[in-house]
Amino acid sequence: MFAKGTNKGFLGWMIFGIAMLALPLFASSATVRIFVFANYIAIFAISWDVLSGRTGYISFGHPFLIGIGGYTTALLTHHLDMPLYITIPAAVLVTMIAGTLFFLPALRIRGTYFALVTLAFMELMYGLVQVVAPDITGGTRGLTGLPSIVTGAVSNYYLSFGVMFTLGLAMWLLIRTRLGTALGSIGMNEEAVRACGLNTTKLKLFAFTLSAMIAGLGGAMYIHYLGSIAPRGLFDVSFLFTILVACLLGGAGTITGPIMGAFFLTLLLEFLRPYIPGSERYLIYGVATLVLYVLQPRGIHRLIQITVNWFVEGFMRRKST
Amino acid sequence: MSYFTENKGFDTLSATSENRPQPMLEARGLTKSFGGLMATKNVSLHVNPGESLGIIGPNGAGKTTLLNLLTKEITPDQGSVFLNGNCIDRLSIHKRVLAGLARTYQVPRPFHDLTIQEHIRVGMMPDGLFDMLLHGADDEKELKIAESVGLGGERAQQYPYELAMGDLRRLELVRTLATEPSILLLDEVFAGLTVKEIDQISELLTNRRATHSTTYMIVSHDLKALEPLVDRVVVINFGEVMTEGTFREVVADTDVQNAYLGTGWEQE
Amino acid sequence: MLIQILLPGLLLSGLYALIAIGFTMIFSVGRVLNLGYGAFIMFGGYIYYQSAQILGLGKVPSFVIATAAGVLLGLIVYVILIRKLKGDAIAIEISTLIFAIVTQAAIIVVFSPSPKSMWPLIPGVLRVGDVIVTYNLVVAAVTSWVVLAALFLFIGKTHIGRAIRAVSMDPKGAVISGIDPDRINLIIWGLSGGLGAMAGIFLATYTQLAPAMWVAPLIIAVAVVIVGGIGSILGGLVAAHVIGMLETITTTLIAAELRGVATMLLIILVLIIAPKGLFGKAEL
Repeated sequence: MFAKGTNKGFLGWMIFGIAMLALPLFASSATVRIFVFANYIAIFAISWDVLSGRTGYISFGHPFLIGIGGYTTALLTHHLDMPLYITIPAAVLVTMIAGTLFFLPALRIRGTYFALVTLAFMELMYGLVQVVAPDITGGTRGLTGLPSIVTGAVSNYYLSFGVMFTLGLAMWLLIRTRLGTALGSIGMNEEAVRACGLNTTKLKLFAFTLSAMIAGLGGAMYIHYLGSIAPRGLFDVSFLFTILVACLLGGAGTITGPIMGAFFLTLLLEFLRPYIPGSERYLIYGVATLVLYVLQPRGIHRLIQITVNWFVEGFMRRKST
Repeated sequence: MSYFTENKGFDTLSATSENRPQPMLEARGLTKSFGGLMATKNVSLHVNPGESLGIIGPNGAGKTTLLNLLTKEITPDQGSVFLNGNCIDRLSIHKRVLAGLARTYQVPRPFHDLTIQEHIRVGMMPDGLFDMLLHGADDEKELKIAESVGLGGERAQQYPYELAMGDLRRLELVRTLATEPSILLLDEVFAGLTVKEIDQISELLTNRRATHSTTYMIVSHDLKALEPLVDRVVVINFGEVMTEGTFREVVADTDVQNAYLGTGWEQE
Repeated sequence: MLIQILLPGLLLSGLYALIAIGFTMIFSVGRVLNLGYGAFIMFGGYIYYQSAQILGLGKVPSFVIATAAGVLLGLIVYVILIRKLKGDAIAIEISTLIFAIVTQAAIIVVFSPSPKSMWPLIPGVLRVGDVIVTYNLVVAAVTSWVVLAALFLFIGKTHIGRAIRAVSMDPKGAVISGIDPDRINLIIWGLSGGLGAMAGIFLATYTQLAPAMWVAPLIIAVAVVIVGGIGSILGGLVAAHVIGMLETITTTLIAAELRGVATMLLIILVLIIAPKGLFGKAEL
């Protein structure tokens, strides 16, 4: 069912899982909170990667999907006092429907144009939320006092990590099936995939719905963790930027790459904080990202691959002499 | 608009006509214009089961457009396509492939990040998503198919950027063969190849024809390479069928010679 | 009522055309989207602010300094970033987007995150009946028309202009006829940087200076390119007016907050219905 080399990768996942499970035993609650944030960014990055990393339909509008999920659960809990075990699945469902809306332009356009339509979707949402029925959506100021799923840093850490790990592993396994190969080939040459007798529309719809599902779940959980929701900060270019850069810096299309990217970005910012407390931190962070991206557009994932290969080859050479 | 008007008005050409076997692939009156330019004008032709048909014609005669119309890469303005006597006008590209009508492209279109074996995997891919998800790849069969075009063993793990033009053509061919076509349309398979590579591809096609009863429609400029591969030739010029016959009949035709003058073909 | 929409709409359209032109040029010639274009605009605005309001160098010299600084920034971005990515459209889009974020971070470091208000280039207002428009916007629109006319002459009449057109129509053909596309692209990026900076000065006096001000003009520029169609500077001009009018109509007749919404709907509709744009010639 899965491609070769899956077992070796599985070992990596187990080590990652055990290390992350043990983390709260050593880390302070402030550090744990940073990791909660990294987990959520990783979930969003996984969602982006399933769609854009694989099929090459670059989404600049992922915050739109995340926001739909977030607003659905926020409105249902805030106005109707519905329990979370109903509102979160409802949010996922609504986001999946929105994902098919997102999909319509992908029937006709791709590349840059597709990216721009999704960006327009995000900006449209930003405008609409503030104007249409602000007494319900909370308008520009948004909604606050939303219920949380669990309380405390450690519980939130385990919850977000559990979801991220499960989704990440599931998607990583998915891309190693034949379905994953088919989705990936769309990103390389869509016409050729069609000429191989595959229904690319069906495959794309699958990728969009799956991506929307993850975005909806992540978005809903994230806003309950924050306890509030507002259009600025959600339908926002810098939020998009964080997701996009996590994926690209990590290595798009690999699932593990975007997770690494999400952790790298979040931890880099936090690591810099004691040395550079001011706004210069963001400048350094941006420049570092830009340099890394231009030097290795295929990301950390590829850098690790190259390093591992280099060590293995060196080891082999020493053995043979 | 309905295309289900199969035999009306086409009685003389009809698939059930007595003295002819039912063609495997048939085009009736295919017409396509781009802007003011007529790329194909009322082109009708057929390929019989097991036959190998060559399509020749000077540059810009509309040969590739014809292939694109047959596979629905582009939709004709007028005319219909029949596969085994059934009108397939409403079938999209991938459905036509599933029905057994597959093609290669003039410029190979590899998947830059997949190995040769993975290309074959995409070609062999089933239609259903669950099928793709739940059943793993058939490693043995993939390698066997790779072997059949001489890309087996270690070579099956190569990536497109490691391949020379001849091997890229072979890769394109093997990916298409993996879809198990009953009729294969080949667009300029010899373009950009060395003499040795042409021989290899040619041998491969001949062998394939002997072992599987694949029907071919081969578009080529290279008349010399085409000659041993085809049973019959259709000449296209200015988007129209000019003449047809055996290879010898066609190249002896003075009109064909005139159409080709200056395009490199000289009778020996 | 009509004049209430027509006059401000026309002037706003002029500003939008100026904002979009530098972006359209890069897209027409290099077929890549410079998502860092907003940074040129913001950069121009801040340099002008520094020069005119902090250092007190006077309006006209400041205008020249800011425009020249924009040209320089355009050239730098081309040389250190774009040339390295060798026409990979997606990589260019993403790296220019990162560049915009870097510029934003740099602006925050140098000028602090709080917004700054700019003095108008020419103070005062123009009254036509009961319609009031600022001289500032009038100057912006007039400058825009002058610049656009100059650009038309430059592209139509000069040798470099013809080379630019050749590269935009057929880069390979241009190489054969002895044009160096790299040099043309360098020129275009420099011009784009200068035009962007100039537009930034007007935009900043029309609204205000803020480190996140690059997003809105970028989206306007994108909308103009999409609606106008690729490779069509004239189409872009028409599109800028369509969008400017549409926004004025929405803000005057419906609600001021809906300004962006109308533009976004227009982008989505055009991209889905006519992906080539209203005047575009090229395929996707």
